[in-house]
This record gives sequence, structure tokens and C-alpha cells, in this order.
Amino acid sequence: MFILKEIGIILGGPQGAGLETSMAILGRALTRKGYGVIADREYFSNITGRHSYIHMLISSTKLPRSLGYPVEILASIDAETVFTHFKDVAEKGVVIYDKNQLDKNIDNVPSMEDYTRERIKIILARLGVNPTIENIVSYLEKERNVVPIEIDFISIIRKITERFKIDPRQASRYVSGLIVSAISIVIGLEEKFVRYGFEQQFRERRHLIEHNMALYELVYDSIATFRNIVKVDAPRIALNKLMILTGNDAIAIAKIIAGVRYQSYYPITPAADESFTIEKYEYNEVNGKAVGPIVVMQTEDEIAAICSAIGASLSGARSSTATSGPGFDLMVEGISFAGANEVPVVITYYQRGGPSTGQPTRGSQSDLMNAVFAAHGEFARVVLSSGDHVEAFHDTVEAFNIAEKYQVPVIHLLDKFLANMIASVPVPDIDRVKIERGKIVFSRSNYKRFDLSNLISPRAYLGADNIVMWHSGDEHDEYGHIVEDPENRLKMYSKRIEKMKLVLEETPSDIKMGVYGDKNPDYIIVGWGSVKGVALDAIEMLGDRIKLCYINMKLLWPFPQKEFLEIVKDIPRDRIIAVEHSHGVNIASLIAMSTGITIDRKIAKFTGRPITLNEFIEAIEKIVYRNEKRMVLAYGA
Amino acid sequence: MERKWDYKTSLWVDWCPGCGNFGILTAVVKAFEELGLDPSKTVIVSGIGCSSKIPHFVNVNGVHTLHGRAIPFAMGIKLANPELTVIVHGGDGDLLGIGAGHFVALGRRNLDIVVIMHNNGVYGLTKGQASPTLPLGVKTKALAKPNIQQAVNPILLALASGYTFVARGYAFESTHLKNLIKMAIKHRGAAFIDVLQPCITFNDVFTAEFYRKAIYKLDDDPSWDPVVRKPEEAREKLLKSIEKSLEWGDRIPIGVFYVNEYVLTFEERLNKRLYKYPAINPSNATIEINGKSILSQQEFEELFKDYIVVVER
Ligand SMILES: Cc1ncc(C[n+]2csc(CCOP(=O)(O)OP(=O)(O)O)c2C)c(N)n1
Ligand code: SF4
Ligand SMILES: [Mg+2]
Repeated sequence: MFILKEIGIILGGPQGAGLETSMAILGRALTRKGYGVIADREYFSNITGRHSYIHMLISSTKLPRSLGYPVEILASIDAETVFTHFKDVAEKGVVIYDKNQLDKNIDNVPSMEDYTRERIKIILARLGVNPTIENIVSYLEKERNVVPIEIDFISIIRKITERFKIDPRQASRYVSGLIVSAISIVIGLEEKFVRYGFEQQFRERRHLIEHNMALYELVYDSIATFRNIVKVDAPRIALNKLMILTGNDAIAIAKIIAGVRYQSYYPITPAADESFTIEKYEYNEVNGKAVGPIVVMQTEDEIAAICSAIGASLSGARSSTATSGPGFDLMVEGISFAGANEVPVVITYYQRGGPSTGQPTRGSQSDLMNAVFAAHGEFARVVLSSGDHVEAFHDTVEAFNIAEKYQVPVIHLLDKFLANMIASVPVPDIDRVKIERGKIVFSRSNYKRFDLSNLISPRAYLGADNIVMWHSGDEHDEYGHIVEDPENRLKMYSKRIEKMKLVLEETPSDIKMGVYGDKNPDYIIVGWGSVKGVALDAIEMLGDRIKLCYINMKLLWPFPQKEFLEIVKDIPRDRIIAVEHSHGVNIASLIAMSTGITIDRKIAKFTGRPITLNEFIEAIEKIVYRNEKRMVLAYGA
Repeated sequence: MERKWDYKTSLWVDWCPGCGNFGILTAVVKAFEELGLDPSKTVIVSGIGCSSKIPHFVNVNGVHTLHGRAIPFAMGIKLANPELTVIVHGGDGDLLGIGAGHFVALGRRNLDIVVIMHNNGVYGLTKGQASPTLPLGVKTKALAKPNIQQAVNPILLALASGYTFVARGYAFESTHLKNLIKMAIKHRGAAFIDVLQPCITFNDVFTAEFYRKAIYKLDDDPSWDPVVRKPEEAREKLLKSIEKSLEWGDRIPIGVFYVNEYVLTFEERLNKRLYKYPAINPSNATIEINGKSILSQQEFEELFKDYIVVVER
């Protein structure tokens, strides 16, 4: 038995086996005890059968921000998990597996892709290990001092189905509880916390709490000797209350608080869950205060999603839509209309792997240029990104404020990593939430919607008393009527674009970017969005050897040139490193066109899996010590 | 409104002289006048095309949107502020070509919006290409070859999609059309009027002369009753109107094909979930108090308690 400050876990099994449930139960149980938790969910575009896994980090000292390899615990529901992840288990780690899978050969795992199978077979052949679970387990035990923990899944679950007279066809429902129990026992999480996890998860199906606790006891009896074998240290995080939620949920909650009252969507991974959560809260009363109603519309396509959101905004609702790459592509003409008609609307854009359908359930940051430049004509738009759940919460509120103050479409650019990652975070400070709706006219005769006397023409909502106004996608005059006069064109076109100057002048610096680490760094790392957590952990870990600073770019468009130049003014150009989950590391191009600074040191990852701490540190070391220019990362199954 | 409101703007109407759109404009203005619609609570939403310029000529709120997308814009406007009277205008290309998906979706929702389709058989503004309502084999002026695609039947499609008021008018039967528009506005639920509209410049087949000979009024037959008077009648009435919708050629019926007020409107469906909707709705719900969240920290934590974990030391 050894005690660790933090523990990494891979928990894998077939899609449909309830891994998400396991993640939620464990996450809550651990948070209840006071640990910090973060977990990424990796899955195929498939409903049943393909390999999916949770990559989790539990910390006793802090709220974790990134994931890394190797992991202390590999908890497998099926053989494929062991084949896929055995090499990621740390020395003296633990592998939990199902006894009934012992003689499984990799050739008998039909759900595994042929490409993956061949790749793993080569690795095993090099190690001289026959491709069966039994051989891998004994290899891990002998060569890596890994502790094998064998559980007879079938017999344990049979005992439960018999005891509670459960239809045996429902047996697979108990796998998630079984694996949660096993992990809890191994890391020394007390029974009461496990119970709490089950209670929270099965609030509406209370009989399952009893079943799962009975399951816990059976698992306990079966592996009691392994109790506390990789014990995580007692928690020392000074927070008494935490939220545990996915990025989708953080943003949904933020939208509700920001005052979204119309949200449209067409189902797409990894955006749809956000709308689901909002719909769950479409109308509530708290202390007699109404929160809502929120109209959540599942539209016929993304074109209708954006167009109806713009329509709702014209009527005075705070409105938004959420999508990912393919849906955003369909929205582009609508965004152009919002630009032309100065309509506030927020588009929450969760990037996934492209092009085309690409890797629908994998993460990516390859749509930066799409978010910034897609659409014909020139007009003001704002692109904002967030580095983690807490930022995403506050930025969501800010996105609406910017949209309404400057009457522009705002694209809140996120990604699948954030969308599906669960994290334990401090409860947001609601006092920090400011709601600014911009200049609004409620009644006026001879109202001109596009009054040219100011860059921002006061907005009236459709239906305002005594106001009649026009909007048109065609170039228009101050009233909104079509006019092609060149002088009017010059004024109206410029006004719309020049609003961007105001955005740059008035947006607070912490919304533009965050700067972390050394004040006089040897190297500056620049990234945005989901890179933040791993970058911050990396600069901390490398701190005693390499002085590093991380710039977390948040306002991506209009690009905050002045502030950026100020931060990098003393650093030699060849000591800036750009990092992104993409092939092109396109943030470097955006910086180059906005500031004239060319960055030729790049860290790229486009496998669809998040950058992990181990590979990121290695990449920085290679750039610093071996003068590498471009590092392409590929860790993770 | 005390003084008589002029429902026509002073803009020069830039349609070709003799265009059927003039007849439609006249009918719209007259209908609004007779209904005494509050111009600031009325919104015309249009797509792109000759026909879609109409909001600029009518002195009520106008939103001239994107080709094919008037319906989703209108939907957002209406859902957010159900107090508004929302009328969609679009061409046949706009509503049944590029925007056909939205046309069908509105029927399924039965949202209280009126859709007026300017059906001229051509893409007017792009110079006369075939529209989705031009029959197979017909060669209008600007076409190099006869139309190789079949026509869609707008009335049939509207009925199949679930519109609960379906009618056809003719641009130069202005009084008749005005009455249809008034009925459509008063109808609760999604209403559709297919308006036969001569395009003097590009459609030399379906001309005013052609229509003058072909059209007849459904009302002329005293036994024609398109209104579902009790829910059980819906199927029978629908079948009759479907049959009627198939008439085309020498004899083209205009008038009301189908009315069914027994289908819940979208607003009513929302009311079952959103409780105070439509009275309290996205456009008038309180979302902030002096720039702050309406919820205190404690209330926030109460509302989202499912996500909150209190650490047990
Ligand atoms: C996305 C898009 N594609 C094409 C066009 C070009 N366009 C303008 S009007 C029009 C067709 C108009 O036909 P219809 O809707 O029947 O209206 P009409 O002019 O006949 O009244 C087209 C294709 C456009 N504006 N937008
Ligand atoms: S082209 Fe046809 S539809 Fe367009 S304005 Fe001229 S006559 Fe009317
Ligand atoms: Mg047309």
C-alpha cells in the first residue's frame, strides 16, 4: 500500500455500459469527501459496443486542471480496455479486470478497429507478450509490478439479480456500480461516500441505491485484501462546497443566469447536452422569483436555429444557439445577417474534429479561422474563448453583454474537451454576474433603428410602443430601408465595422487574455481554450528549470493587439511557442496577421484526444533543450 | 391610434408595372386597415425575391431577411413576443425551394403565424428561372429549355404539413384576397395563403389572362364548407380539401380549402410547459435587477443544487 497526493484512473468499457454513470457517481462521491476531480470522457460516434473510457484525476491538494499518463489505476469492464490501455498503467499501479475475460484473445474483440488491433499486436509482439488478457496481466505484474485485481463480474452480478429478483437481461445495468465500488475500495474511499454517490445518482430510482450498495458489499468481500492499495491522501482543499459538472452544464447554467430566454438548437455532438440542461430548467420559481420562461426550440436545422435566435433577439429576448462545426457552417449566412442588422446573438460553438463529419465525438481547436472569418462581407463580430469551466461560466455572461452592448454576433468558441469534461469547481460567485443590455429605446416617434449619429444606434425591440422600424439584409439607410447610395453605403458599412474599436477599447483586460507564470520568462507559451489547464500545470512543473509564462488568449476577435504586444515586447521572437489542438496551430497565424509577430515554434495535436501533461512537458523540453521547431503530439488511446 | 394610420409607406414601389405583387400589396394594406392592426405590434417578415421587398412598402414593422429563411426568423420573433401579429411574405422559390424545410416545420408546429406566398412560377429577381411551382414541361420566356422538374402542389404540401388554415387567392382579385388575409390573421395557428401572382416580365404562360379564365371561387358553391366544426370532422374535411387541391389547369379554385381550430397552437403547447406563457414570455420576463442577477447566491445554489456537493469533513 502506498499513499499518493493524486491518482490517475482509466475506467474503460463498451459504449452503453454506463461509464458516464460511473463517472458521475465517482465524481460526486469523491467531491463529497473533499477531493478535487477532473475527468475526460472519450467515446466513439456509436451508441452501443465501441470502446469508451473515462480518464480521471483525483487530487487531495488542489482542483486538478489537466490529465496525464501513466495512470495508477486501470479499471476495465471488458477485455478491449485492457488491450487498449495496459501500457498506460504506472509502475506499482493496479489493473482491475473481469475474471471471465482472462482467456480473451485480441483477435476475438470484434468491437476493436482492425487498425488498432494490428497496432497493439505489434506492441505486444515487441514485448514478447501473447495477445490475451491473462498474458498481459502477468506481464504487468512481473515486469511493471502492477497489482492485478481480479473480479468475477458474472457471479457477483448474478447474486444481485437473484437477491433482488431482477430480470437477468437487466444485469448489465449493474456493471457501472460494480466498477465504481471496486475503484472506491482500492483507493480507500469510505462506504458513506460511495453511498452518497449512489444516492445522488439514483435520486429518482431509489431502489437502485439499495441494489448498488449490496453490490458494493459483495465487491468489498471479493477484493477486501486490496483495500487502500493505492490510497489517495486525505483531502486538504480548503473548500466546503463545490460544483461538479460538465462544461456543457456550466455554460447552460450560465446562460440561464445571464438571462437567456430563447435558445435554439439542432441536435449535434458535443453541443446538444447544453440545450438539454437549459430545457430542464425552462421554468422555475425560487423564493417566489420566476426564472424563465425559457423557450428551448429544437429546430429543423441549424439555419433555423440561428435565424430564429436572431428573430427572438429582435423581439428583445436574450437569445442564443449552440452547435459544433457542421452546424456552424450552416449558420454562416445567418451570422452575416446579424452583422448587417446589428443584432445581438450568441453562438456557442463547441469544436470537434473536422473536416466534414470528421471525428464527431473527439475534440479539436481547428475551427478558429472558421469562427473568426466565416461569412461574406465585412462586419463586426466577437469571438471569445474560455480556458476552463469557471471561465466558461463567466464568459458566457460576458458574451451576452458584449453582444447586446455592441449589437454584434458573439461566437463563444469552445470544444468537445470542455463540453464533456467533468470538473469539481468552486461555486461561481453570483455577485460577479453583471447584466448589461446596452442602449435601449422603449418608445419614440420617428425612430431610426440605424441612426448614424453614433457608432451604437440605440436598439428598440419589435413591439415597442409607437415604434415602427425596418431591418434588411440589403444595405439600408437609417430607417432600415434598402438604399444603394454610395455615400450611405460608406457611412453605414464603416459604422458597423468600426464598432470593433469600441469592443477593444472597453473590454476589460481579463476578458481579453490571462497571463500566468513567470514575470521574466525564458519562453512564452501562447494558447487558448482547453490548452489552459495543461499549460498551467506544465509551467508550474517546469518552473524550477525553465522560466515560463502562459498567455491564455480569450478575446480572439477583434484581436487585442496592443495588450499582446505589451506582454511579448521583451521576449525574443524565437522564444514564443504556440500550442493548439490542430494541425496548423492557427492562433500563430491570427497573431501574425494582427501583430506582425511570426511564431515558428509550435506544438500541435490533432488526434482528437486532449493534450496530456506528460507529452506537453516533453514537447516543451524538446523545444527548449533541443531547439525543435514543431512538435506533433499523439498520446492517448 | 387616434389619427388614421397610413399603412402604406411613401417609398417608390420598384416592381415592374403590371406585376401581380401590386395587387397583393393593395390587399395587404386594405386588410391591415380594416383590422386596424397596431403597426408597432405587427411585423412583416420576408425572405429574398421581388415579392420579399413588400415589408418596405407597408408601414408596420418589417424584417427583410435571407432567401428562404423568413419562417425561422418569424418563428423566433413570435415565440419571443407572442403578442405580435406576425406575417410572412415570400416567393415560391423562397418558401418552397430553398426554404421548403422551414415551410413544413411551421405546419408541424402550428405556431400562430400567417404565410403569404407570392406564387409566380418563376424566380423573378434572378431573372426568370423555373420555380418549384412551375409544372413539368412548361417553358416560360427566360427558360432555354422546358422545365425538367415537376411542380410541388403548395396547397397539398401545406395540408400535409399541418397548417390549420389553408387558402388560395389571386393577386388581382384584391377584395377576395384581402378577405382571405383578414381570415388568416384572425385564425389561431399556422395559416397559409397561396397567392397566384402573374409575373408580367418572366412568366408568359401563367398570365393574368390565363388566370382570369381559369380561376373560380370555392365560395360560389354553397355546399363547400372547409371549416372543421367539430374535431371528429377533421379527417373528412382534410380529405375533401386534399381532393380539391388537386384541381389545376382549366379550372383553378381560389378561396379557403381548410380550417381547423381544434389543433393546439404552439403557444398553447408551450403554455402547458412554461406555465405563464404567453403572458410572461422571453421578451418581457425579468432577467436582471439593476444589472445584477435576479437570484442571490443562496437562491442560485438552491436552483442548481443537483450540481452542488457540500464537502463532508
Ligand atoms: C442563398 C441565396 N441563394 C441565391 C440567392 C439569389 N436569389 C435572389 S432572389 C432568388 C429567387 C427569387 O424567387 P422567388 O423566391 O420565387 O421570389 P420572386 O422574385 O419570384 O418573387 C434567388 C435565387 C440569394 N439571394 N440567396
Ligand atoms: S420580375 Fe416579375 S415578379 Fe418581379 S417585379 Fe417584375 S413582374 Fe413582378
Ligand atoms: Mg417566384
